[in-house]
Amino acid sequence: MVKSAPVVKSVLRKIASILLLLLAVLVLNSVLIYAAPGDPVEALVGEMGGATPELIAELRATYGLDRPLWQQIGVYLGNVVQGDLGHSLYYDQPVTTLIASRIGPTLLLITTALFSAIIVGTILGVFSAQRRNSTLSHFVTVLSLAGFSAPVFWIGIMLILLLSVSFPIFPISGMTSSDGTTSTLGYAMDVAHHLVLPALTLGLIYLAFYSRLARTSMIEVLEADYIRTARAKGLSRRSVVYKHALRNAILPIVTFAGLQFGQVISGAVLVETVFAWPGLGTLAFDSILRRDTPTLLGILFFSSLMVVVMNLLTDLLYRRIDPRIKTS
Amino acid sequence: MTQNLLSVQDLEISFRTVAGEVQVVRDLSFELAQGEVLGIVGESGCGKSITALSLLGLVPNPPGRVSKGRILLEGEDIVTASERRLRQIRGNDISMVFQEPMTSLNPVYSVGEQIAETARAHFNSSRSEAWERAIEMLQLVGIPSPERRAHEFPHQLSGGMRQRVMIAIALVCEPKVLIADEPTTALDVTVQAQIFDLFRDLQHKIGAAIILITHDIGVVAQMTDRVIVMYAGRKIEEGPVSAFITDPRHPYTRGLVNCIPRLSLDPSDDPEPLFEIPGVVPSPSDLSLPRCAFAPRCRNAFALCLEKSPPLLPVAEGRAAACWLETEKPG
Ligand SMILES: Nc1ncnc2c1ncn2[C@@H]1O[C@H](COP(=O)(O)OP(=O)(O)OP(=O)(O)O)[C@@H](O)[C@H]1O
Ligand code: SF4
Ligand SMILES: [Mg+2]
Repeated sequence: MVKSAPVVKSVLRKIASILLLLLAVLVLNSVLIYAAPGDPVEALVGEMGGATPELIAELRATYGLDRPLWQQIGVYLGNVVQGDLGHSLYYDQPVTTLIASRIGPTLLLITTALFSAIIVGTILGVFSAQRRNSTLSHFVTVLSLAGFSAPVFWIGIMLILLLSVSFPIFPISGMTSSDGTTSTLGYAMDVAHHLVLPALTLGLIYLAFYSRLARTSMIEVLEADYIRTARAKGLSRRSVVYKHALRNAILPIVTFAGLQFGQVISGAVLVETVFAWPGLGTLAFDSILRRDTPTLLGILFFSSLMVVVMNLLTDLLYRRIDPRIKTS
Repeated sequence: MTQNLLSVQDLEISFRTVAGEVQVVRDLSFELAQGEVLGIVGESGCGKSITALSLLGLVPNPPGRVSKGRILLEGEDIVTASERRLRQIRGNDISMVFQEPMTSLNPVYSVGEQIAETARAHFNSSRSEAWERAIEMLQLVGIPSPERRAHEFPHQLSGGMRQRVMIAIALVCEPKVLIADEPTTALDVTVQAQIFDLFRDLQHKIGAAIILITHDIGVVAQMTDRVIVMYAGRKIEEGPVSAFITDPRHPYTRGLVNCIPRLSLDPSDDPEPLFEIPGVVPSPSDLSLPRCAFAPRCRNAFALCLEKSPPLLPVAEGRAAACWLETEKPG
């Protein structure tokens, strides 16, 4: 019997805790960033090559930077609660517009990297779990060691050196070439071509992680009593491995995918910067340099929102795969 | 002589361990006739479960393997059968109910599906026919409102209910041989009695031969026709159940039977397996010594017992025992 009341209650409780969490993140971020030394006018003036004290004071007043810190924070929080993330000082655009224009490339990069890592990792792990002494199995072990010990930056730069400098197969940076291809397909191919190296750089760590996780999980599940039952029933090998074992083995993978989404976003900042990928990561990086506080805060807030949404999605997925969650 | 349903001949099962290859089952032979209930008793670790698994071709390999002998199902050798052929036999000709009802069902599929897929694997039935069959089986094993229960998942059922589901899975293809490996060990006493009632019931209805592995002498007395006693991987006594209870020959069997203060006809009166024979089970690697494996624990041991392992010899009509007392006088 499906009892809906407890499910609704647990979802409501979840949403409430999410809102609280987002609020806490927001407050903490704005306090930290507003309290950091330096302000956008200083950075602006630096770029302009100097300005009169009067102009500086005027700029400060326009942006409300002459008010006490706690007032600035209060105004900002009030605006965010009403759905207004503020105005970028550098780009002279609403922060939401700015984020909207950059979110596509970032999501493309993150989802490509994470999903390929999960899918390829799971396939590698599942196959190597079945042949524990095969070459593939040893490859997975080596791969995961390498993935854990080599920093992203290093992998990225090595990939650039190898695949776009020594062997110019892939472009060094950016998301599109400037040769002005017009057809949609041509554009998509162009973007895909540019996407390979950054996605590979970002995905490799996770590929290492997920292949290892899938392997361990699959090995454990294959030893379970219910797998012996499945074999004792006379089911085909395919049914035993892919129906009975795999569905149980991917449960920890789904859990980790949800947990790691935040980590992937911060990884994306590095990778986007290395490859000049026009996403939120480069925007965040530039905003830090330019002391563009509203933009930076907006990106941070938006990232936490993405993490939360992703967690909710994985939670729902998990419920679909594992019936034990629904009732307990 | 008519061909028996199942004939196990000189079975030896070995495991590769750090200490080299050890034989966990040796020289094991027994016959099972159509419709017969055969009990296998013996202490923990004596090789009951691994013997049962070998009948399905499921000895975990590596590290284990059947290193000698034949297992003939209606004349066909299971030891040398192809994996493809084994899949046809498993669940269809020979099926098994395991010791661990709590973990033997897959947590992510409904119990109805887990019964139905077994039917689909062996018969050319459609999904809906197999589902109907699953519901029928749930009804047969005494699960109330089977249409609803079929949609439930293992975690929603009690241990006793799960074991009923396991029995339904085992019986859905009406096997010739049903192996029940301590099917009630993990369950509480009243549920144990219900499960055995169910077995007795189903035996009449389906007519499968049953191999019942148990610790519980009360259950043996009630359920079985014939008994095999195993000790340290060997068969040490065999005979009809009445003789086993009233006139056990091997000192180990005598220990087992005498451990029961009062032989009750209700298995629920004897919840604990009462193996209070002093001493410990020998480790398989001790067994290479040329002596009776039971000697270190045997009150009747004499010189010969420490020199040679006693052969299994007939002691009466349809009975056999492996003890020097039967053939030699202590000198
Ligand atoms: N995977 C394995 N690797 C090594 N040895 C094993 C393995 N499985 C079983 N054995 C050995 O085989 C012997 C028989 O085990 P088995 O499970 O058949 O005992 P059992 O009679 O069923 O005991 P219980 O009453 O506890 O179920 C034991 O000595 C055990 O150590
Ligand atoms: S052979 Fe000897 S040691 Fe073994 S059971 Fe008989 S009397 Fe005891
Ligand atoms: Mg056992």
